[in-house]
Amino acid sequence: MKLAAAAPGESPAVAPGFYAAAQKIYPREVKGRFSRLRKWAVFVLLGLFYGVAWLQWNGRQALLFDLPARRFYIFGLTLWPQDFFYMALLMIIAALSLFFVTALAGRVWCGFACPQTVWTELFMWIEQWTEGTRSQRIRRDQQPWTAEKALRKGGKQLLWLLLAVHTGFTFVGYFNPIRTLGAQVLGLALGPWATFWALFYALATYGNAGFLREQVCKYMCPYARFQSAMLDPDTLIISYDNGRGEPRGVGRRGIAARAQGLGDCIDCTLCVQVCPTGIDIRAGLQYECIACAACIDACDPVMDRMGTARGLIRYTTENALQGKPARMLRPRIVVYALLLLAGSGVLLYSLVTRTPLILDVIRDRNALFREVHGNRIENAYTLKIINLDTRMHSYRLYASGMEQLDIAAPSAPIAVSAGTVESVSARLQAPRALAGGVHTISLSLAAMDAPQIAVREKARFIGPNP
Amino acid sequence: MDVARVLWPSFLAACGASVLFFAVVDPLLLRGAGPRLFADLDREAGYALGFFFFWGIGAVASSLSVFLIRSSQHRQSARERAPSAP
Repeated sequence: MKLAAAAPGESPAVAPGFYAAAQKIYPREVKGRFSRLRKWAVFVLLGLFYGVAWLQWNGRQALLFDLPARRFYIFGLTLWPQDFFYMALLMIIAALSLFFVTALAGRVWCGFACPQTVWTELFMWIEQWTEGTRSQRIRRDQQPWTAEKALRKGGKQLLWLLLAVHTGFTFVGYFNPIRTLGAQVLGLALGPWATFWALFYALATYGNAGFLREQVCKYMCPYARFQSAMLDPDTLIISYDNGRGEPRGVGRRGIAARAQGLGDCIDCTLCVQVCPTGIDIRAGLQYECIACAACIDACDPVMDRMGTARGLIRYTTENALQGKPARMLRPRIVVYALLLLAGSGVLLYSLVTRTPLILDVIRDRNALFREVHGNRIENAYTLKIINLDTRMHSYRLYASGMEQLDIAAPSAPIAVSAGTVESVSARLQAPRALAGGVHTISLSLAAMDAPQIAVREKARFIGPNP
Repeated sequence: MDVARVLWPSFLAACGASVLFFAVVDPLLLRGAGPRLFADLDREAGYALGFFFFWGIGAVASSLSVFLIRSSQHRQSARERAPSAP
């Protein structure tokens, strides 16, 4: 799919490698269906971000990526570094979902769910609340400094900073227990690294949502650059209906625009004024467009007032605009959907059948074997038992793979508390007559209260050369 | 702009590298493995150190890319400006 060149009015880059100073964009506030949707998205997503950190589950933080302890707690699930597979799979599924949604509905992620959009929206609400509407902001920026201007601008900066610092604190609260962090902040005893990362994230939020805004999408976001590879002529995009709108212009009153040879667009430029990335949607699909639909919200009421049908700017597809039939089910969609289904299936299956127990068998390095009384051969091992479950279990050890193989130690079941590693020495014995040479045996461990929690590990039993 | 071009991709790469590296390696392992400098490293410091190490390496690679692209552009434009061979 082709993207149109830079929007008119944007100064072309002097030469590749040189930076064209970005013009400050004053997005005009807009009301409508899609702005309402975005408002909801902001409330829900940021509500989740700021809220979930404080949720408790079984006496600990519900969602905690405890890096200092190297454990991830996801509600009832505890993931260990050994479970990296699940995180990798989860990331692959997230990427596939993004591809799938993009192919189907274009950049809805950018317009409604991307943290950059969501935080920018929140920062813009603060800006509108302190500095007023678009025209008031433009006027004030051109006027000399007064007490009121300083108060309004200072108030905005203060609110932004407070919000950014709180955001940074919450972010760190997903990696360190947030309640402890909160107490440390109140007691001015926050650790150096927690402070550093909180401020680092605060600075990133403040810079990205307060100042960089659309430049993040235009210059920094890799997804914005390669998303065009996922679009096809049947992808939902926001587009201006050229055939209906052109030639644009204001005709004389009382005479239908058509009769004067004009299209439906009255060239009020509202769609340009509301655009957070400062483009003119009427110039065609552009990579700067984050599909926020603000221009639809701006144009629809104008069409209502002019007495023409809504949707001069609308969600549509390239094929639909050209009068071709729209196809939902394309090979691309089917492939993404199948991959997504397969990935989620594997994740779900492996989570459900995951055994919350790990056994490592390490042979004693000091001696290959030992002769003990009764004409028997003994091998020693160290067992590393990791109980990944959320409660304590007692495990019993079993050995097999050789005739008359006995467990001399441990004689009692091994108790391992929830989420801990226990090192246990084990000794296996076999009659000398049967023990000659190297044998492959297997050691298994089973929870006594839950037989389905069991693992089996291969090991070697070595005896004197026969 | 060049500073951003160097720091931003290397930041992204460092995030990915840190996740992958520390999923496998416990920073406490560096205590025994590394020079005496790491002797009393705690996990948080280990993560931070690793992250900035990867960021630094990425930044060096990115600056080299920027330098190579720019110097070839300079040469290209110099050649275009030069009068064509008589």
